[in-house]
Amino acid sequence: MSSLRAARPQEPDQAAAATSSVTLGPRDRLIGQLYIEGDLRVSGTVEGEVEATGNVDVAEGATVKATVSGREVGISGQVNGAVTASKKLVVSRSGSLTGDVRVSSLVIQDGATFNGNVSMTRTGQHAPKPAPVEPAAVAEPVVVAKAAGTNGPSADKSKPKRR
Amino acid sequence: MDAQQAVADTAPHEASEDAVESRRDGANRFTLGPGDSLEGKLTYAGSITVQGRAEGELHIGGNVDVASGATVKASIDGASVTVRGEVEGPLTARDKLLLGKSGRLSGDITVKRLQIEDGASLNGHVRMGSFEQSSGG
Repeated sequence: MSSLRAARPQEPDQAAAATSSVTLGPRDRLIGQLYIEGDLRVSGTVEGEVEATGNVDVAEGATVKATVSGREVGISGQVNGAVTASKKLVVSRSGSLTGDVRVSSLVIQDGATFNGNVSMTRTGQHAPKPAPVEPAAVAEPVVVAKAAGTNGPSADKSKPKRR
Repeated sequence: MDAQQAVADTAPHEASEDAVESRRDGANRFTLGPGDSLEGKLTYAGSITVQGRAEGELHIGGNVDVASGATVKASIDGASVTVRGEVEGPLTARDKLLLGKSGRLSGDITVKRLQIEDGASLNGHVRMGSFEQSSGG
């Protein structure tokens, strides 16, 4: 994917807009914290914390013991750590993930291994039925206002019916 | 079919347990229609399809299929479980759990294999791997 993108200079705008693309090869190793404004592809070993504003791709054969966050996160290798994907997490059939995930969309292919807690935040894009929360949201402040009124009875006495 | 059943009935000694079980798995299917509802505890050797509403406990020997539009608030265990509707409760799939794109599942799940399609919703803890089959199930 990334090689294709690199081969085509058809999207100079995106490339110029400070989106770098970093690849850690199979023999590369990172221990520590990494922040990338752009895409990250890991084929080697990473320990620590990894954050990318773009997509994170953990290739087959990679070993990651780190918290990973990105927009779209794809896991084909081994990941041990919490994963946050603001858009989507895909664990493909060769992938293995142990850790808690926070995502808005999750795809797990048959054959993948996953252990952990899933908390999925519903985004408006995916929700087929937007929950009608508005009445409750309106009702709550009324209750709060009453409670506030009872907390300060002196205010009521001092201003009985001036309004 | 009738002839086979008659043979099985008249000659129970010859029918091996495996044959009976496999035939049960194939033939026995409990379908809870869109307007149907179930409350309570169900232990069933065959497979079940839920299109309506179910609440309680489902201990299913075969497969469990929660269709799109169905609502299940129950602890479920089955061999292979497919969720395309809404499920709330702990779920155990002795073989595989398939969470379809229209599926919404909240609860802790224990599975041997797991497949989640894009668009599905899941909240809960996932435990996966080769776990010992509870033969009592």
